Amino acid sequence: MSERDRGSPSTQPGHYGEAGTGVTFAEATIAAAWNVQGDAERGAFAHETQRLFGVQLPVAPNTIAQSDSVSALWLGPESWLLLARNMSPLADFQATRDSLNTAGGALFDVSASRVAWTMAGPQAATVLAKSCPVDFHPRAFPSRTCAQSLLGHVNALFVRDADTFTLLVARSFARDVWHALTESAAQYGYDVGPQARYR
Amino acid sequence: MTQAFRLAAGGAIDRSHRLAFEFDGLRYEGCLGDTLASALLANGVHLVARSFKYHRPRGIFAAGSEEPNALVQLARGHRTEPNVPATMVELFDGLVAASQNRWPSLDVDVGALAGTLSRFLPAGFYYKTFMWPATAKAWLGYERFIRAAAGMGRAAIEPDPDRYEHQYAHCDVLIVGGGPAGLAAARAAASSGVRLIVCDEGPHFGGSLVGESASIDGVDASAWIDGTVAALAANPDVTLLPRTTAFGCYDGNMVGLLERATDHMSAPPAFAPRRRLWKIRARAIVLATGAHERAIAYANNDLPGTMLAGAARTYVRRYAVQPGTRAVVFTTNDSAYATALALQDAGVAVAGIVDARAEAEIAGSLPRRARAAGLPIDADSVVVGARGGKRVASVDVRSASRTRRLDCDLVCVSGGWSPVLNLFSQARGTLRYDEALAAFLPESSSSVLPAGAANGRFGLAAALSDGHSAGLRAATGGAASRLSAPQTEREASGAPRTLWSVTSKRGAKRFVDLQDDVTADDIALAAREGYTSVEHLKRYTTLGMGPDQGKTGNLIGLALLAEATGRTIPQVGTTTFRPPYTPVTMGAFPGQESGAHVEPTRYSAMHDWHVEHGAGFVNAGLWRRPHSYPRAGESPEDAANREAKNVRANVGVVDVSTLGKIELQGRDVAEFLNRIYANRWDTLAVGRCRYGLMLREDGIVLDDGTTSQLASTHYLMTTTTVNAVKVMQHLERALQLDWPELEVYVTSVTEQWAAAALSGPKARDVLQRLVDIDVSNAAFPFLAVGECRVRAPDGTIPARLLRMSYSGELAYEIHVPADAGRAMWEAVIAAGEPFGLMPYGTEAMTTLRIEKGHIVVGAEADGRTTADDLGLGNLVNAAKWCIGKPLLERPALKAADRWQLVGLTALDGAPMPRAAKIVVDPDRAAPNPMLGHVTSWCWSPNLDAWIALALLARGRERHGQVLWAVSPLADAKVRVKIGPACFIDPQGERLRV
Repeated sequence: MSERDRGSPSTQPGHYGEAGTGVTFAEATIAAAWNVQGDAERGAFAHETQRLFGVQLPVAPNTIAQSDSVSALWLGPESWLLLARNMSPLADFQATRDSLNTAGGALFDVSASRVAWTMAGPQAATVLAKSCPVDFHPRAFPSRTCAQSLLGHVNALFVRDADTFTLLVARSFARDVWHALTESAAQYGYDVGPQARYR
Repeated sequence: MTQAFRLAAGGAIDRSHRLAFEFDGLRYEGCLGDTLASALLANGVHLVARSFKYHRPRGIFAAGSEEPNALVQLARGHRTEPNVPATMVELFDGLVAASQNRWPSLDVDVGALAGTLSRFLPAGFYYKTFMWPATAKAWLGYERFIRAAAGMGRAAIEPDPDRYEHQYAHCDVLIVGGGPAGLAAARAAASSGVRLIVCDEGPHFGGSLVGESASIDGVDASAWIDGTVAALAANPDVTLLPRTTAFGCYDGNMVGLLERATDHMSAPPAFAPRRRLWKIRARAIVLATGAHERAIAYANNDLPGTMLAGAARTYVRRYAVQPGTRAVVFTTNDSAYATALALQDAGVAVAGIVDARAEAEIAGSLPRRARAAGLPIDADSVVVGARGGKRVASVDVRSASRTRRLDCDLVCVSGGWSPVLNLFSQARGTLRYDEALAAFLPESSSSVLPAGAANGRFGLAAALSDGHSAGLRAATGGAASRLSAPQTEREASGAPRTLWSVTSKRGAKRFVDLQDDVTADDIALAAREGYTSVEHLKRYTTLGMGPDQGKTGNLIGLALLAEATGRTIPQVGTTTFRPPYTPVTMGAFPGQESGAHVEPTRYSAMHDWHVEHGAGFVNAGLWRRPHSYPRAGESPEDAANREAKNVRANVGVVDVSTLGKIELQGRDVAEFLNRIYANRWDTLAVGRCRYGLMLREDGIVLDDGTTSQLASTHYLMTTTTVNAVKVMQHLERALQLDWPELEVYVTSVTEQWAAAALSGPKARDVLQRLVDIDVSNAAFPFLAVGECRVRAPDGTIPARLLRMSYSGELAYEIHVPADAGRAMWEAVIAAGEPFGLMPYGTEAMTTLRIEKGHIVVGAEADGRTTADDLGLGNLVNAAKWCIGKPLLERPALKAADRWQLVGLTALDGAPMPRAAKIVVDPDRAAPNPMLGHVTSWCWSPNLDAWIALALLARGRERHGQVLWAVSPLADAKVRVKIGPACFIDPQGERLRV
């Protein structure tokens, strides 16, 4: 069997690598996620997104807006990733999609598209910066902002909340990214915490 | 041995912490804080290497990365590393090193014969000698001997067992060099609160100050270093990088650095990388890289025991080693007097200070102190030559009146100092030649600020104040600061004299470049032979090549070239400073992106199931896809044949999660699809899907796939696995640039949906047990699309059901959210069991599609074929415009003799050769006119024949003809019958049942 088809490093809670804990990883399970697209300056669209998700979509690059139920991450000039905080606030996807389509926008269900991990600890930024050219310093990448870049060869979305990063990658790459990340973190020692809902 | 030349006191080494090491098979002891070079000197080992070309005995010449001679082979086996300067190797317990370029031993070296034959080995020897016969083969023969005779160490043959990694970092100010100027700059910059990174190639900060007895700001030098470093270390915005060499300065202030993370450890930690490649982006860069001392070219200036004066002082002060017992100091400037004083302090007899300057010029404070200490000074004198065998024994000193011999075992040379400006020059800073200092100094600069000795400010006091102001300028642009520069006593120094070489009797070797065995005579010869450009001189003589890149000798070489050609040094100029400054391990460049991480691997949600059920895998783009599922004793080919047969007889299921999936929403999607696809889309209805063909702008086929209408304003497009990204880019480009007015939004949902294709005459039987909707032909006909729920043990799974077929059988695609992919797959397997369902892989899938004549992008749609070539001309709707249609009108794309898709059946039971071309006469001499080529081929277990798809000139006119498929490469040929590109169910009845 090729090395690629073997399992990846353990995702079970526990301590790995060197003594000490440079990084604490925990998978953040995503109850629901949507890609919302549209022109935020169009009144009907802005009004509908506000009504449906209780959030005003952020228009400044790499910023995040939050309501009780979702985090809205800026992805591009007309594109946002809405991540359900804890439980999905949408009862009926089709009706919501239709009302956003009517308002001149779009709603795509991408709930299973990404795998997310939270990374905390004194070496979290250092470990990310081994494979990503983004400046993770708090003055360059403040709390409650996000950034898209490459992690190694893979597209990744980074979110910062205080000293905790959330890293989101496409699901099919997740095993490979986990392997690379934990290999980089082992020199500082790392803990894997229990899965928790994305907040 | 017992470190007989270790001083009893002083130095920055820990005498209580002894370290055992091995050099050339002999065991020695050193101390914590030693380098391999200082430990060898402490043990009185001076002969450490043989030279590159002449195999002359060589000793330790420098104390830093500029070392030309003392290159060693480190460690053994798979970790061995050649050409490492002993001066840069931190000693650790158990270190193993060996000398290079000698046989059978350093002491008795057969290759030294080259030295006695050296008259016959002039500059450009290879070019002159190995020209006949002028064939590449002859050179290859010579090369073996040259490589064996001349040379460096050996690379490891085994795979590198170590891990390497990259580290990106960002800062406001990067300070390269942690000596006095660098520390003063760091202290100043840090005081303004900027983000700061300070690197030094050594293990400790302090540079030339370590072990010295100066007083700074009222405290002793070592206390000042410790205090400054501690304050920096405590600042959260400061990163200190010891053992880290900045080797290159690139565009946008990106600096490449190599950190030797664990080289100095006897037992490196299990998970740490051996070396780390830093890529630092800095707003401003301070280069406190110091200066390299220069040699002087006099006869036999390469004997072991010859050392740069500053290096000798470092060995005494920092490492508490006597580098000899009786020294001669040969200098053109004041700095070597500090060496003489240090040697005297250390109990080394100073036989004489030979100063090239006139008595009146020797007026600085250091010479004054030397005089006061009773050291003998020969003014207006030079060392003409040295004598000795494997160590210097004496030197001949010539003054105006006489020549006399001085016995010594150590010669300390100082020909002046050259600022280290490699990075400055790489950053496009320009240099100017300073006659007084006989050195190139930095001139213009962008955001790279040289400081201290690198800026031509020699001496501790100048270094501290220049570093301080450079640090402030880098951090704040020079805003006023309350912090004042560190203060120390300023030495009054006299002007240096310029002296490159000392003439002596003919035949004696005066080395300019010790590492490459380039002498002053070689340079004169090259100049006579017309190599007057400094770049040509380098290539002809090898001056300044090799691991050290001529750090101690380049300037002498170009000065001698200037003399020989009657030009000034600025007219001759320098060679280009290219990265890396010092050698960089190859492993550091790929870093962590090696082995399994050379490229990322994508796995479907069902991957583990495939592994658990014995699948063999194949790469499809970045994806790992099951090739087939061999049973015990079954070959992968047999397994694929069984699987393909079972699909036509019963039912099979294949993981198609890798197909590209794109969703589109908005008012104008139908119009957009009409423009993007060649066929018509505005007639599609909700709940229906359609096969679609996309063209490039030049009319050539881009991709084929399907699009389904899920709701009035919501569509799902599928693409081929390999073209998923390309098609997405194609759509986004069209929407952003061509038709921004269309209200269409697209997003890739490849990752969102896991998908399985259920295929075969019994597919409906299986499906009806799985889903909660009526899938009868009446309720869910061919090309129907709908939503349903799949029954699984842990509850039902929402799914999209698409009735479409790639195999040509009754078939359905089931798409579920990727989270539920495995549960859906297992439910399909369980439901299919009573119907003989088998999973099948890409190999059976390929067989099935070749049997049906379905094209794939890459093989049939190879970037040259039109829709018509592929038999899909009817998909290009005549009544509407689409991307690619105008250029499809070009005459060449409509020519009658275009290659067209056909099916081939091998006759005579012979297998289809791989990559075959199609010809009329297989035995005709080359070039045999090619009528076309095979694009896909397989054994068809359903037809019991070798079949293929091919592109063939006028192919559709040739149905029924018999031609030959030949592969000259494989020396194979087979008669083939030409027919339509579909072998099974040409009317498509099976998929509509």
